[in-house]
Amino acid sequence: MELDYGARSDTGCVRENNEDSYRASPEMKLFVLSDGMGGLECGEVASRVAVDTIVEHCRRADSNSALPLSGGHMNGVSETTNRLASAVRVANAAVHAVAQASAPGKAMGATVVAVRFAGERMSLAHVGDSRAYRLRGEDFEQLTCDHSFVAEQMRQGRMTVEQAGSSPLQNVLVRALGIDAAVDVDVSEELVLETDTVLLCTDGVTRELSDAQITRVLRETEEAQEAADRVVELAKQAGGGDNITVIVVRPAARPVGAFGRLGKWFRESAWQKTATWTNGNNVWSAVGVLRPSFSEG
Amino acid sequence: MPKLVLKFQNSVLKEVPVGRNEVSIGRSPENGIMIDNPAVSHFHARVFNEDGRLMLEDFGSLNGTFVNGQRVKMVALKAGDSVGIGKHTIVISESRDLDGFAMGSDKPTQAAPKLNETVMLDTKERREFLQKVAAVGESAQVAPARLKVPTLIVRRGRTDQTEYMLNDKLTVIGKSAMATVKLKGWFAPKAAAQINRREDRSYYIGGADKVPSVNGNPITQPTQLSSGDVIEVAGIQLEFVYRD
Repeated sequence: MELDYGARSDTGCVRENNEDSYRASPEMKLFVLSDGMGGLECGEVASRVAVDTIVEHCRRADSNSALPLSGGHMNGVSETTNRLASAVRVANAAVHAVAQASAPGKAMGATVVAVRFAGERMSLAHVGDSRAYRLRGEDFEQLTCDHSFVAEQMRQGRMTVEQAGSSPLQNVLVRALGIDAAVDVDVSEELVLETDTVLLCTDGVTRELSDAQITRVLRETEEAQEAADRVVELAKQAGGGDNITVIVVRPAARPVGAFGRLGKWFRESAWQKTATWTNGNNVWSAVGVLRPSFSEG
Repeated sequence: MPKLVLKFQNSVLKEVPVGRNEVSIGRSPENGIMIDNPAVSHFHARVFNEDGRLMLEDFGSLNGTFVNGQRVKMVALKAGDSVGIGKHTIVISESRDLDGFAMGSDKPTQAAPKLNETVMLDTKERREFLQKVAAVGESAQVAPARLKVPTLIVRRGRTDQTEYMLNDKLTVIGKSAMATVKLKGWFAPKAAAQINRREDRSYYIGGADKVPSVNGNPITQPTQLSSGDVIEVAGIQLEFVYRD
């Protein structure tokens, strides 16, 4: 499956530096973003080390399958997912080492969300409150759960969505890379459909924009880069209180020939048409209608 | 004093403390917690204190009461347990704990962040907090992980097996090479639906090329599966159960 992707990072309208980092590696089908923390240049360094380490670990594993998995092997998920989780653990150790050396005693760290595509499967790993979303049909779904104080409170039923939304503690994380020598990494896997759009973003996006606003942009844009640009512009118009980083990935539209059109016609609404057929006279008359467009192209 | 937090999907509907008096749960308005849903019996269950322990008793309800995914008759509850009744969940919460901190009461907290800056909970608070979260996570995981295996039983339709144990984080139903539940037949979709296991070991079904139904209702968003749920998609019917 070929991918179309777009990415953009912006300092926003309030902050003076951009502590977010991202890496997009289309040849590895690997996309990573990170939101650093720690103030001054610490946050920038932390997020940069995080994304670079993850891409590097996956790259080395691709050329050397004997490269050990950090944190051991997990059952129930693919090798790609195991490797991605391993990369995030290695990144944690790398950020931790830098933090110990350059800013001992300070909370220097980073969030991370990483996805890698292999066939129809997407592997996902994350730590912190940077998010992955998927738009599938009408459903815009958050694929990650924030490792933030308010999100944990909501999960335990101690806070309602409204309380969380207005809480002054929204920025407080309970998990991040670089804080401790080891970290728990959340991993998951998703099926990828040709019509899906995947969005990775830092909290600078989701603080400013509603799901509906983001969904509209993803629907209205053809190119993934245009979608990423527009999400960033909208977040800036809405205030841009924090750094803003977005990666949009969607399966690329394949060159459309006659076969492609026919295949698409089937895929898009096969079930509606099947319903029409079975209600109508017979299947063969419907196939007969198809034949002219098939031979013309 | 422990508190019962009634939730539907992600929203908290009601919070009821359990003191010396028991709290009854059911569809009838006489109950301390009323759940107005046909899947809930008129007098479904009760929660009460016994020798300082918090107990849950199911009154022989038709559709059952589940604690952390396992059907129960009478059990002791602890903070963090999740009681499933129909599609509603009651979470057992210890009302003291971090509430003052969480709701941002009069006491200013050290963790209060500066403008829009992402921070960590400071070390001591974070340790305590993580221990609590971990404790909740463990209690939520114990029941299904101990001996129950989530399983899909094929009730109707053409598939390559008659039942499937859900061992993976992602289970795809379709004709695709990556599908676990393999559909047969010409018009079977490549990927009809998917089931995800989340971090808390709960299972969610979502649509792909098709819109699945759970217990006869087409789903518009990923929906959590409970034991006994019947899934219909692409002409097949599956029952989701926790097997011994």
